[in-house]
Amino acid sequence: MNKYWQIFKISFQQEFAYKINFIMWRIRNVFQIIITFFLWSTIFNDPNQIIFGYDRTKILTYVFALMIVRALVLSARAVDVSSDVAEGNLSNYLVKPISYFKYWLTRDISSKALNLSFAAVEFSALFLILRPSFYFQTDPFVLLSFLISIVIAALIYFCILFLISAVPFWAPELGWASQFLVAIVLIEFLSGALFPIDVLPLTLQKIVMSTPFPYMIFFPVQVYLGKITGMAQIQGFLISFTWLVVLWFSMKHVWNKGLKAYQAFGR
Amino acid sequence: MQKLKYYFKIWWLLTRDSFSAVLGQRVALAFFLTGKILRFSFFVGFLYFLIQGTKSLAGYSASQVIFFFLIFNVIDILSQFLFREVYRFRPKIVTGDFDLTLVKPTNALFISLMGGADVIDFLTIPPLLFAVYYVGSLLNPTALQVILFLALTLNGLLIAAAFHIAVLSLAIISLEIDHTIMIYRDLTSFGRFPIDIYRQPLQGILTYLIPVGIMISFPARALMGLVSTPGVLISFAIGILAFIISLRFWNFALKKYSSASS
Repeated sequence: MNKYWQIFKISFQQEFAYKINFIMWRIRNVFQIIITFFLWSTIFNDPNQIIFGYDRTKILTYVFALMIVRALVLSARAVDVSSDVAEGNLSNYLVKPISYFKYWLTRDISSKALNLSFAAVEFSALFLILRPSFYFQTDPFVLLSFLISIVIAALIYFCILFLISAVPFWAPELGWASQFLVAIVLIEFLSGALFPIDVLPLTLQKIVMSTPFPYMIFFPVQVYLGKITGMAQIQGFLISFTWLVVLWFSMKHVWNKGLKAYQAFGR
Repeated sequence: MQKLKYYFKIWWLLTRDSFSAVLGQRVALAFFLTGKILRFSFFVGFLYFLIQGTKSLAGYSASQVIFFFLIFNVIDILSQFLFREVYRFRPKIVTGDFDLTLVKPTNALFISLMGGADVIDFLTIPPLLFAVYYVGSLLNPTALQVILFLALTLNGLLIAAAFHIAVLSLAIISLEIDHTIMIYRDLTSFGRFPIDIYRQPLQGILTYLIPVGIMISFPARALMGLVSTPGVLISFAIGILAFIISLRFWNFALKKYSSASS
């Protein structure tokens, strides 16, 4: 346990090695939130208007909640795994007495802790500047459900990242391309990170909700907003947990196959 | 004229090499192309369904909002196609390989800016231009509006070039930032929607200080007949000014180049 705690601390400090870089990365996140905020703020100019099942307070809460949920779910160092495989750096870890999965999970947690603390500062600053109407959830049961959904979401993202990072075992040149397609395009759009999934027509919503993507952002935020309750919430948890189990075992299986195919290119 | 021919020939050779390098990895090319097409389609779909539910956005109809998004893509994709080399510039500075550009008898800015056009973006340009033509024709523009639209789009590309030159210059001055170009991309993404959705003073900043509005929103508004004559003149003045300032910044940055690691 101690070695992972050391990895956590080193990874945390590593993020500060290029301070301006990190700050710039956070500024990029703030830009995205500002764009989304003004888009929805313009649409919901009338506070009593209800569109797509949201009123002004709930949609602006969705936008602000994105900051925290993104920091907790989509902040991950495991995006670097792909290059480890493609460039042969994976060999350095295979000879060490550590679990490669646990190593990156620890680094992810460290990245999430750091990003969360910055997101909290940005949240407060933007809250003071933009003064949005905000929905504070006070129900402890809902807050607990929200936390559980976040843990599942983060683990789903971890499994997806590891699955796409396995592509270079067989095709080293496809590392960045597969990440672009899945982590940047599919997850960004289908997770609800850019817009709530309820904007889509019902049929499309059903299709998207049957994939693991909306359980990374959209579902946790809906739980926080209290828009998904009772049986719908239980069903959501069941689907997301099933996806987590499926992805976890797929990841293990693909990595076992991948390690047998691994040729340590570049070493 | 002869110099122009010389640089066109160099651009052609570099573009051919760059295309060959990418076409050598066809599966990766297919992945990127699919990703770009999906991203574009998802966003257009989102805008369409959004306006279906809200009826309008800041007073603009669905076709108009989609047209703003298309113009954002025209400027974004054309500048990625032309200035892709900017994305590969920082490693040259960090390793000192920029020395090899400086010793060549060609303009270092030209090579750093336009030394490798992007084949993926090239493939997306024709369908995008067709979409611009189709959606633009739904807005029933007059001949004058079309001319103004074309002139302001060129002005937008000039501002985009200025931004890219500024990114190159910053890479020379500061070794610590490795995704300035992505910050530029994030800034321009404010132009995905009509600039009118932003509240003051942000709207003013985005129009005149960081001229994303002039770069993206103004050409679209010109086609809709929503730009005044002083607005057009100010746009061209800002475009030219931004380009001149970026060239000066480049010259200033070149003097700071330390040739580290080489």
